[in-house]
Amino acid sequence: MHPPGIERRAPSLSSRTSPRLKLLAVLVIISFTALLPRRPDKLYLIPAAVLLASWAACRMPLRFAIGRLLVAEVFIIGIALLSLFRPAATPIFLSALLKSNLCVLAMLLLIWTTPFQEILQQLRAWRLPSVMLTTLALMYRYLPVLGEEARRMSRARASRSFSARRRLSWQNLAMVISQLFIRSVDRAERIYLAMCARGWK
Amino acid sequence: MNPAVEVRNLSYRYPQDGESALDSVSFCVAEDECVAVLGPNGAGKSTLLLHLNGLLPEHFSPEPTVWIAGEPIGSKNLAQVRQKVGLLFQDPDDQLISATVFEDVAFGPRQLGIEGGILKSLVSYCLGQVGLAGFEERQPHRLSHGEKRRVCLAGVLACKPSVLVLDEPTSDLDPRGRREFKTLLQSLPGAKIVATHDLELAVDLCSRVVILDDGKLVADGPTVTLLSNEALMLAHGLEKPHILLHRHPHGPVD
Repeated sequence: MHPPGIERRAPSLSSRTSPRLKLLAVLVIISFTALLPRRPDKLYLIPAAVLLASWAACRMPLRFAIGRLLVAEVFIIGIALLSLFRPAATPIFLSALLKSNLCVLAMLLLIWTTPFQEILQQLRAWRLPSVMLTTLALMYRYLPVLGEEARRMSRARASRSFSARRRLSWQNLAMVISQLFIRSVDRAERIYLAMCARGWK
Repeated sequence: MNPAVEVRNLSYRYPQDGESALDSVSFCVAEDECVAVLGPNGAGKSTLLLHLNGLLPEHFSPEPTVWIAGEPIGSKNLAQVRQKVGLLFQDPDDQLISATVFEDVAFGPRQLGIEGGILKSLVSYCLGQVGLAGFEERQPHRLSHGEKRRVCLAGVLACKPSVLVLDEPTSDLDPRGRREFKTLLQSLPGAKIVATHDLELAVDLCSRVVILDDGKLVADGPTVTLLSNEALMLAHGLEKPHILLHRHPHGPVD
């Protein structure tokens, strides 16, 4: 497994644009979208049009975008649902859905066109706190490792799961997730020791 | 001359449950000597190695127990100790923390304040030393297990240590990877301490062996002498390696 966007740089105009410009543009689009009114409005067409035009320019495949949008959709809908408990809920719910999807799309365009290493370098140049940079870099490095570990554990569980009962498969999934969490904590400790062994302070 | 590493009466209990991990362990390693640390699982090998780099104990007592080139390890000289003692961890994924090979090999030197052109040439030199010249822009998750381990070693060598401490360096390697890694280790100068279950590696690489069992040092002597002692090996969860079972046509191996 690779984190989204790795080594998928599109051979287009967007990939030749400087990472600084792309990161800046994405931040502007996200900020603009976040500040839009909390109801469906014609103004939403502005970021949508910009993003769709960029999409066409950078030739991001539909499958790449939809697959990742669907993963994010679970969280987007989860957060948007919370707004249903407020008065005048429907417009807020719809605007939360629109805003989140547009922001995720903007991020997808960024990771499609810019290698993660360049994003990190740019953030470093902007003097983002080193703790945040280290966290981002470690997350990027260990997502594939954790993904591989989860796959191995699921496979091992599946090889001993003989029941077709749905409840049991959910239990198995919960067990894999909890074990993955425990193993991640152990691994984090080992990584910390390995960093200290090379002089990290 | 001071030994490269001296361990004197080292004892350690796990803080979680108070169980003893090391019990009065003492031994020395001379400069340019290669010593294998053998023992069954749970004998305390990895815990011992963490002490050599100052990663354990959590709090240093006023009475030192480990000396590196005559200097006792304490809370005040940890940075220098970690530069002098390069520690290679068992799982390369624990050690490879950066997004590219270059960044990872550069991690240690950067902690020492090395940057710019010197850093670049140091990284290239160390990658060349482990046979991975030109791997700078490769991503660690794209490498084979053997390559990952070599990158880890390059990262350790980049700090220019005088002592190499290796935890199971050949575990999970295929026979070719194992042979190449062994040859690579043989080519490196300086004192080496290798914790391993690979007894043939111990025979080929190390002139001396210390055996740990249940946190205690139970034997310390020449590799071939100790590893040929079948009773001793069996008593501590080990076996006489195949390489010593075959009698050499021109006489004993040693």
